[in-house]
Amino acid sequence: MSTDTTTDRPTREISVTVNGEEVTAEVEPRLKLSDFLRNYVDLGSVRVGCEHGVCGACTVSVDGDIAKSCLMYAVQLDGKEVTTVEGISEAGSLHPIQEAFHEEHALQCGFCTSGFIMSAREFLAENPDPTRAEIKAALADNICRCTGYQNIFDAVERAADNMEGD
Amino acid sequence: MSQTGEAGTEAEAEADVETDDGTFVGTGLNRVEDHRILTGEAEYIHDITPEGCLHMALLRTTHARADIVEVDTSEAEAHPECELVLTGEDVAAEYNPMPSGLSGIEEWALARDSVKFVGEPVAMVAAPDRYVAEDLLDMIDVAYDTQDPIVDPVDARRDDEVVHEELGTNVPDEEEFVFGDVDAAFREADTVVENQYSWGRISGVPLETAGVVAEYDTERDRFDIDCNIQLHTLVDDTVYEPLGYDPDDVSLSVPPDVGGSFGTKIAIHRYCVLAAIASKKLDGTPVKFVEDRIENLQGGDMHSSDREYLVRLACDDDGTIRGLDVNFVDDFGAYPRYPVNQTLKPLAVLTNAYDIEHVRYNYELVLTNKTAQTAYRGFGVPPHLYALEMAIDEAAREAGVDPYELRQSNLIGPDQVPYTLPSNNVYDSGDYPGALAELKDTVETQELTEGGLLDPEVVAQQREEGKYRGVGYSVHIEPGVSGSDWTDRQRTDRETLENRSREDVAELPEYLQGSVDEDGTVVVYLATDTSGQGHQTIVKQLLADELELLPSDIEVSYLDSAEAPTEYGTAASRMAVMLSGAAQGLAEAFADNFERLAATHWDIDRTAVSYRDGAVHRANSDETLSLADLAAIDEDYQESLTAAEYAYDHPASEIEAFDEALTRKYPVYPTAAFAANAPIVEVDVGTGAVEILKFYSLRDCGTQLNPTIVEGQAMGGLAQGIGAALLEEFSYDDSGQPQAITLFDYLLPSVTNVPEMELLHTETPSPFTATGAKGTGEGGMIDGPASIAVAINRALEPFDVVVDEIPATPHRLRRKLRDGDE
Ligand code: FES
Ligand code: FES
Repeated sequence: MSTDTTTDRPTREISVTVNGEEVTAEVEPRLKLSDFLRNYVDLGSVRVGCEHGVCGACTVSVDGDIAKSCLMYAVQLDGKEVTTVEGISEAGSLHPIQEAFHEEHALQCGFCTSGFIMSAREFLAENPDPTRAEIKAALADNICRCTGYQNIFDAVERAADNMEGD
Repeated sequence: MSQTGEAGTEAEAEADVETDDGTFVGTGLNRVEDHRILTGEAEYIHDITPEGCLHMALLRTTHARADIVEVDTSEAEAHPECELVLTGEDVAAEYNPMPSGLSGIEEWALARDSVKFVGEPVAMVAAPDRYVAEDLLDMIDVAYDTQDPIVDPVDARRDDEVVHEELGTNVPDEEEFVFGDVDAAFREADTVVENQYSWGRISGVPLETAGVVAEYDTERDRFDIDCNIQLHTLVDDTVYEPLGYDPDDVSLSVPPDVGGSFGTKIAIHRYCVLAAIASKKLDGTPVKFVEDRIENLQGGDMHSSDREYLVRLACDDDGTIRGLDVNFVDDFGAYPRYPVNQTLKPLAVLTNAYDIEHVRYNYELVLTNKTAQTAYRGFGVPPHLYALEMAIDEAAREAGVDPYELRQSNLIGPDQVPYTLPSNNVYDSGDYPGALAELKDTVETQELTEGGLLDPEVVAQQREEGKYRGVGYSVHIEPGVSGSDWTDRQRTDRETLENRSREDVAELPEYLQGSVDEDGTVVVYLATDTSGQGHQTIVKQLLADELELLPSDIEVSYLDSAEAPTEYGTAASRMAVMLSGAAQGLAEAFADNFERLAATHWDIDRTAVSYRDGAVHRANSDETLSLADLAAIDEDYQESLTAAEYAYDHPASEIEAFDEALTRKYPVYPTAAFAANAPIVEVDVGTGAVEILKFYSLRDCGTQLNPTIVEGQAMGGLAQGIGAALLEEFSYDDSGQPQAITLFDYLLPSVTNVPEMELLHTETPSPFTATGAKGTGEGGMIDGPASIAVAINRALEPFDVVVDEIPATPHRLRRKLRDGDE
């Protein structure tokens, strides 16, 4: 247990490209990426459901790979690129995956939705024409407590169809 | 901080979705809630962080049972960033205990003299940031005098040691109900089947944890509390009573988006109270707290049913079930929240869909050193249906008959509905045998054929590899739309109960309020909260039809607890039915007011005006007044005739058949949605692992207001049922340590556990409700676990194994299979 009662905890300056924009910040090394994105960059789409890497609600894209932002520290992001739901479509419009989630009623409470969208987005970028089994494997790291998954499944399939040729 | 503003409901292209007659109820109108969620704009409680807000963290005990000797907070207090530290003594010095689910128990928001379960909060701190707040927790020293915890509920009944000294017993409530001549039924029956079944402690575990932002208003001496509590207009007493304030001085607002609740967030008052106290101590600085997942799982006051059953069935050789005898012990942990309600609710579906005349129902409510139990989807019903269906399976085995046949021959027939249960609740409508037969037919047509999942050749092949397939058929009733005052039965002495009359029964209506905006938009306010069920969409559909408008002409928002009348709200599968009635009433009140206003304006008789298609029409003329016109006129007259409110009573209050149950405080649930289920499972007898290959379910919730939402509720409920049946459990070791405190241990079903679901729907409208809708918010969680267990039993028939513990984990099934071999 620390008896240090001073407030001068160490910080580091980081520079991250978030949704295409350069963000510079002074952060403590212990700051989780999820908290950085939510509290420093004000990206509310990043949801926090467990903070131990199981639920996937905090899923974002880091340099083109999906990552659970609760399992990373902000300082690890220095010099990297992050994309969140806020960055996947023009303001006011919906990305085809978002569209498909709406059409298929793939969300109820919606707390898991950002995470699923980010996972699906990376997945479809690599597998534009996936099989059901591949979709299942791609979604296995995200938990939804409301929908029973079937509609999420259908939404990802629909999005794949709609995005064909994109 | 009130959340009564608009919640960003994007409109649909409505022409695509209306029915032929131009109505919206009954269509799968896409949800208006989605857009803000999909874009990340939705504000959940964790998104609310007012300027200058401080963050609270709680120190939780790691002991299951101990006296608190000393709490030393000096080091934390000395920290430059520490804004506040409070202990149980500090809270007790100025505030009240929290309301208890049972009289005789005193519970404080922070423990005072002793701790009674691992995770119980003993101190709170506030700091500018959550990380720092958690650092401060490490600087608080608590000295404990530990004792052996009381863990096993069956042993706890001996009262060798008690959880609450002041109570003097670990069994603070028990009751036996005898309906009919149970002894005779058992004496005269050809066979009596008897067995024990265990239902593991589970809960809703919504993806969003509990959270609160409280702000004390120093000038007005009142509190504004944003939080994701469920039923904020009903259970606000759990917050204002401990604070010692009037209801009007504590407004609870719930964000329009809550990340799931399933009953569990009814009991988050501890956090609201503590954040409010902290804000007051800090002269009105807002204080925020969001539970982390570990806190939520171990000490979040949200576990649910944990039961040991002993069930007996009295059967005749011809397959008639004469009598049922249900006994159970329910482990409520240290501080029960809604204990008796949960142990009594199964009376509303006492014999499930079976016609059984003589029934005994007996429970013992037990306290142990575990986390408090509160509500979870189904509210005590799922374990009852599971235990009953397991007993039916054993009876079938004993008699050597096909369990499908035994079920069919005992189901309540369509000619028997409305059917009054021995416990006086009434099933409104439905053809249960017909549904089961239809489902069986479908499954056999699709799966018993070549290449199907139950193709005999495939089944035989799989068996060679140790994989046993089975399909189980069962029908389940979902009790919907609670609303009478039965929930405090335990607080009513038996004599008073005998002498009650129908007039003494209190009702819990559903309230809607509305007004017309300048541009003619109708703004409607719900007196309840929502956690993903799509109430904004449903209300738009209902009112669009009633007022002959488009859904986009209507906005739906929420009242806070101080503005709203004391309401029941979102629980007990109420909303489809209650909102149907409330929307009809509100529309009538609106039309009436509009007509009065127009008549005054035109200075003509009321009978010469009529409201239709979004305007008031003047008789014998082309003159009309649109809603926007009316709003402008209303401005001038100042009569508030473009506003209206309505409280829809409760369907059961109008129906004589429920009088007896209402008067005697038996659970009254006037709608009986039902499901015939047939999951197809495969059990690997080597590993004990169960895979659900496909889940067939034929469901009927009367008139479907929005079939898309209905189906979503069914599938989500079934997924929770799958979790309950196979994966989820809050177990404890002998020292009272919780074994599932992360999502690595408490296993939520993922897409890999949930199979393809084939849902079939029929619509048997309820004769008791305004639109014919039946409550259906809990369905799959109620009927899922039992029906999966029935299917496993079928698969394991060759081994004579019956599921007697839920969840049926690989470990447990392997043990059963091994013991069965001996
Ligand atoms: S919050 Fe990151 S995985 Fe759950
Ligand atoms: S929609 Fe609620 S967790 Fe997925």
